[in-house]
Amino acid sequence: MFQMGGGVAPEDQLDKTETRRVMGRVVRMAAPFRRTAYAAVGCVVITTSTTLAAPILVRHGIDSGIRVRDLLQLNLSVGLYLVLAALAYTFGRMQYVFLNRTGESFLRELRLKVFAAMQSQSLAFYDRNKAGVLIARMTADIETMGELIQWGLLQFLASGFLVVLALGVLFILSWELALVVLIVFPVIVIASVKFQRDANTAYLSVRERVGQNLGTLQEGIAAVRIIQAYAQEEAQIKRFEKSNRSLFDSHVRSIRISTWYFGLVEFSGVIATALVVGIGGWLVHRDTVSLGTVVAFILLLSSLFDPVQQLSQLYNGVQSAAAALHKLFAILDATPEVDEVPDAVALPNRGDIAVSGVGFTYASGIVPALQDVDLIVRDGERIALVGPTGAGKSTLAKLMSRLYDPTNGTVTYGGINLRQSTHASLRQRIVVVPQEGFLFNGTIRDNVRLARIEASDAEVEAALERLGVLAHFERLPEGLDTEVRERGTRLSAGERQLVALGRVALVDPAVLVLDEATSNLDPGTEAEVESALERLMQGRTTIVVAHRLSTVRRADRIVVVDKARIAEVGTHGELVALGGKYAALTRAWEKSHAV
Amino acid sequence: MTTVVLDPDTAASAKGEAEEQARTQRNFGWQLLWRALLEQKTALVLGVVIGVTWTAAKVAVPQLTKAAIDQGIERNGPLLSWSLFIAAAGLATGLLTAGRRYLAFRESRWTETLLRERMFAHIQRLHVGYHDRAQTGQLMSRASSDLQQVQQFVVMIPITLSNVAQLGAVTVILAFTDWRLAIVSLAPLPLINVASRRFSTRIHPVVLAVQNEQAQLASVVEESVSGVRVVKGLGTESVQFNKLRKEADDIRQVSLKAASIRSRFLPAIDLLPSLGLIAVLGYGGHRVVNGDLSIGDLVAFNVYLTMLVWPLRNIGMMVALGQRAAAALVRVDEILSTEPAVQSPERPRSLPTRNSGSAVGAITFEDVTFGYGEDHAILRNFSLTISPGESVALVGATGAGKSTVVRLLLRFYDVVDGRVTLDGIDLRRLDVHDLRRNVGVVFEDTFLFNDSVRNNIAFAKPDADQATVEQAARLAGAHDFILQLPNGYDTQIGERGFSLSGGQRQRVAIARAIVADPRVLVLDDATSAVDPSKEHEIREAMRTVMEGRTTIVIAHRPGTIALADRIVLIDEGRVVAVGQHRELLDTCERYREVLAAWAVRDDDAEVE
Repeated sequence: MFQMGGGVAPEDQLDKTETRRVMGRVVRMAAPFRRTAYAAVGCVVITTSTTLAAPILVRHGIDSGIRVRDLLQLNLSVGLYLVLAALAYTFGRMQYVFLNRTGESFLRELRLKVFAAMQSQSLAFYDRNKAGVLIARMTADIETMGELIQWGLLQFLASGFLVVLALGVLFILSWELALVVLIVFPVIVIASVKFQRDANTAYLSVRERVGQNLGTLQEGIAAVRIIQAYAQEEAQIKRFEKSNRSLFDSHVRSIRISTWYFGLVEFSGVIATALVVGIGGWLVHRDTVSLGTVVAFILLLSSLFDPVQQLSQLYNGVQSAAAALHKLFAILDATPEVDEVPDAVALPNRGDIAVSGVGFTYASGIVPALQDVDLIVRDGERIALVGPTGAGKSTLAKLMSRLYDPTNGTVTYGGINLRQSTHASLRQRIVVVPQEGFLFNGTIRDNVRLARIEASDAEVEAALERLGVLAHFERLPEGLDTEVRERGTRLSAGERQLVALGRVALVDPAVLVLDEATSNLDPGTEAEVESALERLMQGRTTIVVAHRLSTVRRADRIVVVDKARIAEVGTHGELVALGGKYAALTRAWEKSHAV
Repeated sequence: MTTVVLDPDTAASAKGEAEEQARTQRNFGWQLLWRALLEQKTALVLGVVIGVTWTAAKVAVPQLTKAAIDQGIERNGPLLSWSLFIAAAGLATGLLTAGRRYLAFRESRWTETLLRERMFAHIQRLHVGYHDRAQTGQLMSRASSDLQQVQQFVVMIPITLSNVAQLGAVTVILAFTDWRLAIVSLAPLPLINVASRRFSTRIHPVVLAVQNEQAQLASVVEESVSGVRVVKGLGTESVQFNKLRKEADDIRQVSLKAASIRSRFLPAIDLLPSLGLIAVLGYGGHRVVNGDLSIGDLVAFNVYLTMLVWPLRNIGMMVALGQRAAAALVRVDEILSTEPAVQSPERPRSLPTRNSGSAVGAITFEDVTFGYGEDHAILRNFSLTISPGESVALVGATGAGKSTVVRLLLRFYDVVDGRVTLDGIDLRRLDVHDLRRNVGVVFEDTFLFNDSVRNNIAFAKPDADQATVEQAARLAGAHDFILQLPNGYDTQIGERGFSLSGGQRQRVAIARAIVADPRVLVLDDATSAVDPSKEHEIREAMRTVMEGRTTIVIAHRPGTIALADRIVLIDEGRVVAVGQHRELLDTCERYREVLAAWAVRDDDAEVE
């Protein structure tokens, strides 16, 4: 009645070798849960066998008991049937427990491994893979498998086992009648295979249109103000009707596919009964088979036909799980680009940053983002990187903090190549302050502490105090224990930025790499952020990707990046006097501000 | 699908008024469904008829099998004809199974489809005040997952009816065959129904809990991916990993709880029919030996008992599905029964036509008082007169009431006190659509639809020809960049299409307003999303559009403000100064303050 979710797009379907490889790997990954897995399989085998044993007992009861009036044999059959039912119940319960324990432990392991693999990747990985896709891997893809484990895997295993076993039992009982059943059986198998394919296609089309329809629905609700402002309600209602009806049509198509299939299955089941009764009766008359065998066949028919149906319905679920695993394994197999070398050394406490002969090309790009860049930043110096969008100034900042490794050339700190540094010391010396204060779920305190998880409450507070913002947060009703809620929506953009700066103060690095915000903050906190930043920069080497003239003016030296190269280096005064690119930029800024 | 079965409020207060109210709400919900189903009665009646016929054919098969065994096999009767009878019954069940299924699913989808359209239409007509309070996500889940609950229930109606018929027919047949054996063998079966029902109610909250845990894990993943720059920049991978481990553990734990509920119920539900079958073999066997029953009867009993397992399970599930559908219907009905607060009058007056010689587009606000909540007034005795063809800039601090003025003019809300008129007519006496067609607005957040550029521009007049669209785009300064898009005017834009820059979006939005050709144009902070250094490009477009049309501009950048003939400074819901930019700069202290505050935000336009 209810169909298992999950459909596989043609491009995701795995071929045989890939499927085998995926399955082999699953078995290897599940090795720690081997025992429960074996127990689960054992339970499935026993429970399934009891299903088949029942009709055989009925046969025995009829042939050796009822027909020859042997009450002892009849009672024996009944007694054994009771034992069988008790076994089925007991092992039935156990199979759920063992199977789920194995499955859920496997999924937990998979979640942890995939997440750890994702986290060990460099930023380049995140540039290549869309956030939505990565999130889907960790959620929808793994949940598909969870659903399969909870609802389908058991049936799938049992059904497969049941078909094989039932066929065996039929042949043992009477090969003549078994051959009769085999006239109908292939029809069911072929119909099921076709159904499985068509249902998959129909499912994909329904899923796509559900998505489209939700999109239209969402648009209609989100844009209701503009729609009403332009008095376009009726047009939008028509538009929605069109998408909604197209969803209905695709539902109907999928209903049609299951309609003929279930009708055919029902029909074939009864036809098989008719054949068994007719030919079986004839064989009984010739004394080739017993009446009990005919009865057992009639009862066994459902054990043969039902599981084929189930297999075809579950097949799509299993296939999409395999496809999902394939994608997840791809993440596990990706090697992190920015990795710690085996004999990594800690960076010194202070030192100059030297960029020499550096070039860099993004994995997605063909044109180099940076070329032949040489630059030395002295300990404690404040540098502003300026230039048009896409010139490469942000890339340069990222290389100087080893968010990426350069394609050629080296970046060193205190004479040590960043490639040779330990991750831990690198993140202690050089810290990147992102454009926007990104907050995680939790309290303000949690968010600051994130930077150094072992820091005490006092250290967190001291860090905020050094920036002069502790009082600001303590004024909130719950102080530092205020829950920031989703993405920090309870705090203003400025406050979020302050929290982010607090994190950096807690780390207390020697070098700050700062990507200045392009968007504007509310006027109140703007000044506070400015002053906190100023305090944070005191006594540290600072590299700012600057968007504002006021920031640029405060820098010791200005580096103009243009067309992937360093174009000019010097102080504000020097560069204005030079009359080059920087001078032009300054003029443009002044003009745009005039009334 | 995170729907809760009952509103927590109504569930908590277990007696008295609240319960009474919940019951009335549920009645309204069921009435809604009943009315919807009445519209499909032909198909539904047909479905029931097919269902009952199906029952007859289905029930006939074991009877025929029994006859074939007793008369054909045991007494050497005509085997072939019995087999053919069975085959014929098989053909009938096959066809009727298909028909029953098709009708049930098709009709339930149709109910869902129509209800969704009614909801969408209603949501479109609900006043803006309603939408201010309602969350998009909530409305979405009403129109998707709630209606799905209803669909799952509706599909079960004809199926359950024929299942009940089958149950009745089988019981009668078995009772007539051998009432003693019928009692003994059927005794465990009602428990299937009881157990399925309990199972459904028990498993439902746990399934929701699993979904909830999954959502929590998703949010950790989401923040780790979106915040990857912070995580990498500070090297805090282990913190996120620990959070994730906790969530993964929780999921495992709740899922195992679900598994344990399944393990308690499902094998037991499987066990019950076996007990009936054992009774058939034992007690029935003895009766055959005693000559009270035939072997054919015994087999028929067996087959009938197996046949009842699924219907009984389904009826059990039906109760749980019904409860969920009822709760969903209550929520759907809540939306459908909300009356739009802003409606056209019975006999609306019409605006003076534009080519009647006299200029049109005169606006007055007369002593208007208005607030969004009951306690806090945004506008207090606000009065303003704008002459036809005049352009006015509204300037003020955040929350001063500028945008509210615009919303009242569009009649998104009705004033609490005083009145607003367009060309001398109180807005409340105008047809709402007529009014809004005559007031074009460009909002701060330009919403673009997932559609072609052309359709986005022609939004107000979907049948506008290409020339009109292009003309509007030219005026808005959008034509040139549109031609450079991959498919020109046919390029798909919006969330799922080609992404435009802030300035480009803004120009498309202005073109959209131009196509509407309104007598009053409102530019509500239309340039704030645009880079200051690029604002001048849009300013040109605005200047062209404003010509000869009453225009209200909300702005805070001097360059844009200067486009207007007159500047109105609004502070705390009142007009505090009127004049020209230079004039106000020189004379009005508050005006200078407001501009200065805005300028701080804009301070330092980008260097690049």
